[in-house]
Amino acid sequence: MLKKTAINDINLEEQPDDQRRLYYRKIFRKFVLLTILCSLIPLLLVGWAINIHYSDFANTRVMKSFQTRIEHHRQVIELFLRQRSSMLELIAHSHTKQYLNQAENLSKMFELINREKGSITDLGLIDENGRHLAYIGPYDLMNCNYSKTFWFKEVMNQGIFISDMFMGFRQEPHFVIAVTSSSQGKKWILRATVDSEAFRSLVENVRIGKTGEVYLLNQQGIFQTSSRFEGRIMEKAAFEMEPVHSGIKVRILDAQPANGTRHPRQVVSHVWLDEPKWLLVVKQDYAEAFTDVNHANYAVLFFLHLSALIILIVTVFITRHMINVIKQRDREADQLNRRLMQAGKLASIGQLSAGVAHEINNPLAIILTERQLLLDAGRLCPHPEPVFVEQFDDSMSQIDVQVQRCKRITQNLLRFARRTKSVIDTVNINSFLGEVIELMKREARSSGIKFMPDFDENIPPMLSDPSQLQQVFLNLITNAIDAHEQKPYGSVSINTRISGSRDGVEILIADTGSGITPENVDKIFDPFFTTKMVGKGTGLGLSICYSIIKRLGGEITLTSIINEGTEFKIYLPYKPSAKLIEAMEKGDGEFD
Amino acid sequence: MIGAKILLVDDEAVFTKNMSKLLANRGYVVTAVNSGDAAIQVMEEKDFDVVVLDLKMPGMDGLTTLKEIKNLGLFTETLLLTGHGSIDSALEAIKLGAYDYLTKPCEIDELVAKIEGAWEKKDVKAKKDMNEKIDRLVESPGDVFKLFPKRKKIKNVSSRLFLTYHAFMLS
Repeated sequence: MLKKTAINDINLEEQPDDQRRLYYRKIFRKFVLLTILCSLIPLLLVGWAINIHYSDFANTRVMKSFQTRIEHHRQVIELFLRQRSSMLELIAHSHTKQYLNQAENLSKMFELINREKGSITDLGLIDENGRHLAYIGPYDLMNCNYSKTFWFKEVMNQGIFISDMFMGFRQEPHFVIAVTSSSQGKKWILRATVDSEAFRSLVENVRIGKTGEVYLLNQQGIFQTSSRFEGRIMEKAAFEMEPVHSGIKVRILDAQPANGTRHPRQVVSHVWLDEPKWLLVVKQDYAEAFTDVNHANYAVLFFLHLSALIILIVTVFITRHMINVIKQRDREADQLNRRLMQAGKLASIGQLSAGVAHEINNPLAIILTERQLLLDAGRLCPHPEPVFVEQFDDSMSQIDVQVQRCKRITQNLLRFARRTKSVIDTVNINSFLGEVIELMKREARSSGIKFMPDFDENIPPMLSDPSQLQQVFLNLITNAIDAHEQKPYGSVSINTRISGSRDGVEILIADTGSGITPENVDKIFDPFFTTKMVGKGTGLGLSICYSIIKRLGGEITLTSIINEGTEFKIYLPYKPSAKLIEAMEKGDGEFD
Repeated sequence: MIGAKILLVDDEAVFTKNMSKLLANRGYVVTAVNSGDAAIQVMEEKDFDVVVLDLKMPGMDGLTTLKEIKNLGLFTETLLLTGHGSIDSALEAIKLGAYDYLTKPCEIDELVAKIEGAWEKKDVKAKKDMNEKIDRLVESPGDVFKLFPKRKKIKNVSSRLFLTYHAFMLS
C-alpha cells in the first residue's frame, strides 16, 4: 500500500489506457497510410512510368545503333566484293580470249587488279569445257578441269558468280569470283580467287566491345568467316537460319543451353547480302550492349526508392512527433476537465447546500423553541418524579447537542456556499501563520502534536484575503492534528518558501499522521467526503479550502503516503490577478 | 414590572407560536404575525418596543419590511433573525438601522439578552426625546399640552394642525 499519489498528477495514464493506446495507434496508422497514399504511391508511379519509358527509349536507341552498325558492315563487304567482280567483268568484256590467253597479258591484268593490296590471289582463264587455258597464281592448277565444279555450272548459267567458301583443289577455305564472256560464239570464263586473308580480316577483325562479333554464314548455315566464340570457318553454325529476306532484323536471343559458356542473352542483328547470298550476323551480349542503359536505370530506380524510403522514415518520425503532441494536449485537456468538473461539482453542491441549509435551519429553530418550552414547562411542574426528571434532563441536553451538531453542519454548508465579498488586504504570511499556530497550540498539545514551523524570512508582504486564508489554515491544521488519532504523538511541520517556478509563495503543511489511501486522494476535495468518524466531520473543510484557494488565484495539491503522513502544498500568488480582484469586489466569481 | 412589548415576525407559524410562549413565559408582551405586510399593519395600530424580524420571508422580505418600519419613524428597535448564509443581508440591515442580528436557530437566552439590549436602547432614545420635548414645552409656555400618561404621550393641543396618526406619533 506504500504508494505515493499526487492529486494533480493523476492523469489519463491510469484511466482509459488500452482504449487510448488503440486510438493513438489508429491515428498513427492513418497518418502514415495517408502520407504513403498521397506522396509515396504517386512518386513511385511517376518514377516507374518514367523508368519504363526511358528504358523503351534507350532500348530503341541501342537497337538502332545495331542496325546502323550492321548496315555499315554490309556496305563495306558488298563494296569489297563488288569492286572485285566489277574489275573482272570489265577485263572480261574489254579483252579478248586470245589476248588473255597469253600468259604475259594475263599476268599484266593480275598485277593491274592486285595494284590494290590484298585483292585476289590468282587469276585464271577457263574455256567452256572447264579446261584451264591460262593461270597466274601460287598453285599449280593448269591441268585442273572445272567442268564438274558447282561454280562452273552456276557461272555458265548466270554470267557472273561469287561462290561460297570451299576447299577446292588447294585444300584451304577460299572463294572465287567468276565472270563469263564470249567470243566467236563460244563462252569463256575469267575466274579469280579472292584473297581470303584480306576478306576474312575485313570481317573477323571487327571488334564490338568485349563480347561482340561479326561473321558471315551462307544459306546452309556454314561459317564463311571464323567466329570468335561460335565456330571456325567452314563449320556448321548453330545459328537458326531463316529464308532470304530483305532488310535488317534485330532480335534478342536467349542463349541456347549448348553454349553454356556464353552470357544468357544476346542481341543479334542480321542481314542478307545481295550477292552472294550470305547472312551477315552482328552479335553482342545483351548485358554489354545495354550496360549504359541498365546503369542509368539502376541509378534512377535506386534514387527513386531511396527518396521513397526517406519520405517514409520522415513521415513516421513526424507522425510520431505529432502523436506525442496530441497526447500532451489530451493530457492537458483531461486535467483541465478534471478541474472543471471539480469546480462544477463544487458550484452545484454549493447552490444546493445553501438552499438545504436554509430549509433545515427553520425546523431546527422550531425544535430549539420546543425544547425550551418543555424546559419552561418542566420548571413549572410542581412535583415531578425524580426518574422522569433525570430522563427529561438527559433528553433535553441530548436534543441540544444534536441540534448544535446540525447547526454546525448547516453553518459549514452555508460558509461553503456563501457569496461573500472578499476583503483583499496586505498579508505577511509568516506572522499570519504564526498567529494561526498560536491559536491551535493548545489543542495540538492535548493531542501530543508538536508544531515545527520553518519560515522563509525573505517572503515579501502579499495581497490576499486574511479572513479566508485563516479559515484555510485552520481547516488544514485541524485536519493535520486529527490525522494523528491513531498515533500517540506526532508533528505538523509548516513551511513557507518563495515559489521557484511562479510569482508567489508556497506553503507546505505536512503531518506525520495516518495518510490518505490513493483511492481517497481523488475524492478528498469533494464536498461531504470525510474519513472522520460520524458526527465529527462534515466533509466540507477541504472543499472550502479548495474553493477559497482557487478564488484567491492559487492552487492546492497534496501528496500522501499511507501511515507516514500527508503533505498539503498551497501556492498563492503575491497578488490575485486584476480580473480576480474585480470579480471578488463584485462578490461573485465564487465557483468559477 | 411589565416586560417589553415585542412584535414577532416570522413566516413559520409554529416558530412564532412557540417563541411567543417562550417570551411570554419570560414576561414579555408578545404579538406574533407571519408576514411583513401584517407587521406594518399591526405597527400602525399598536406601539412596540422591539420587533424580532425574520430576514427570509415570502412576499415582503425582512429588509423591505425593515425599511417600511423605519419609514414609520418610531423609536421601536429591530432585531433580525438570519440564516448564517445571509450575514451580508444582516450587515445591510444594521446599516439600515436595525439594532442587531441573531443567527437562526438561536438560543432563547441569547435572544432575550439582545431583546433587553434593544429595549434599553429604545427606552434611552424615547426618554431623550421626551426630555427634549419637555424642554421645548418649558421654552414655549404658550402652547397647551395634553398628557396621556397611560400611553406615555404628550399632545400639543394648541397647534391647530390636523394631526395624522403618524404625525401624532411623532409629536
